[in-house]
Amino acid sequence: MSEGIVDLFNMSKPEKKKYKDLEKELSIIGIESPNICYQCSKCTSGCEAMKLLELEPHSIMASAKDGFIEEIMQSDEIWDCVGCYKCIERCPQKMSPVDLMYIIKNWCVSSGKQLPGDYQRLLQNILSTGYTQNPLDVHDKKNNNWNRKTLGLPDIKTPKDQQKFTQIVSELAMEGLK
Amino acid sequence: MKELGMYLGCTIPTEQYGYEMSIREIMPEFDIKVIDLENVSCCGAPLRSINLMMQMYLSARNIAICESNNLDIYAPCSQCHLSINETIYRLKNSSKLREKIVKKLKEKEGLKYRGDLKVYHTLDLLYDEIGIDKIKKKVKKPLNWNIACHYGCQTVRYSDIKRPDKAEHPDKMEEIIKVIGGKTKDYSEKLNCCGAPLMITHKESALTKAGEKIKAIQERNFDAVSIVCPFGGRMLDSKQKKAAETISEKLNIPVFYLTQLIGLAMNKDKNKLGLNLNLNSEKILG
Repeated sequence: MSEGIVDLFNMSKPEKKKYKDLEKELSIIGIESPNICYQCSKCTSGCEAMKLLELEPHSIMASAKDGFIEEIMQSDEIWDCVGCYKCIERCPQKMSPVDLMYIIKNWCVSSGKQLPGDYQRLLQNILSTGYTQNPLDVHDKKNNNWNRKTLGLPDIKTPKDQQKFTQIVSELAMEGLK
Repeated sequence: MKELGMYLGCTIPTEQYGYEMSIREIMPEFDIKVIDLENVSCCGAPLRSINLMMQMYLSARNIAICESNNLDIYAPCSQCHLSINETIYRLKNSSKLREKIVKKLKEKEGLKYRGDLKVYHTLDLLYDEIGIDKIKKKVKKPLNWNIACHYGCQTVRYSDIKRPDKAEHPDKMEEIIKVIGGKTKDYSEKLNCCGAPLMITHKESALTKAGEKIKAIQERNFDAVSIVCPFGGRMLDSKQKKAAETISEKLNIPVFYLTQLIGLAMNKDKNKLGLNLNLNSEKILG
């Protein structure tokens, strides 16, 4: 992490504590420190969210490396990642922009930032049913309706004690990786 | 008969019924008995952005349930398969994480996590466990179509975690397509994303990605697309019409699960393979 530098666009300074936390959480999931990123931009050249949404993983890495974590948290860009894992696959330094973004998104959520898009609904569904969605009725080529029963499929298996399941998963929301 | 605990995740058993039906239809023919696991839930992968502990706990929970049945696990969804393997890998490498999650599973739910079960995906189950010779022997009606293979991002990446095929040059699906009579070739968009994860935050961009992928395949004169991930089914088939509207193109290409194609080559009943649910298949199935 660089010290003593200032981002002149918004006068923000590097945050040592957050940078250390980031290094620590990355190491828990087996990922090296952002320090070793040498900005080759291979991650961005392969990024599936680059062309349409202008996500630049190497820029995120540059900010992270210099300790400008709050800036990354404030940007909406990190929510554009599709999770294609091309960045970690191709990084010559075995860094993982995708996992670094997951960790920072987790921090956004635990700091109370509102979940974008359909995330709230996904989370709510998993908490209340165990799954992202209930079995849907689908239609075939002739527009006839079908469901698991009419297709002869067995009932979907769900957590035996749904109430307990909800409670355990909710408790985890309070816990970070550290 | 080899018994496997089948873990379907969220997307397959709630909308991509053709994948599930064709798996149930063809696997017994290859001496694989799939056993539905009780008490399971989402694998946690859709929650990665919200809380990585939640993700790993849910995957570890499903692993523990399968292990309590003394079975290896078969996860046909690529996202679930990655999340399960990733959790095993991370819990093996971090004693802190392992301790925390194992303790919670035991105290709260009485589940014992070992993390040493085998994890199968459709692709390696067919190619490595069953093998193409055995598949070839079951072919009664060779397909004779020119088929584009779409693997899906999380089917092949990332290679630190055990994946069913190679990250940059996967070819197991092509090998299977060839033994069931099909023709196939590489195309430069093969590893492009179907757009599915963007449906959560950027629907238009998601549909644009799907549309562009379908368009590229169509322009190369393939007769159909073969997939092994339910998100490919959702984006490339179920939402093909919407994707076409989004990029203002005429798109019409049949998309099938690899298991459906194998079933077709085995001359199985089309309805039992869920083929009436493949919305863009009129061109070649009628």
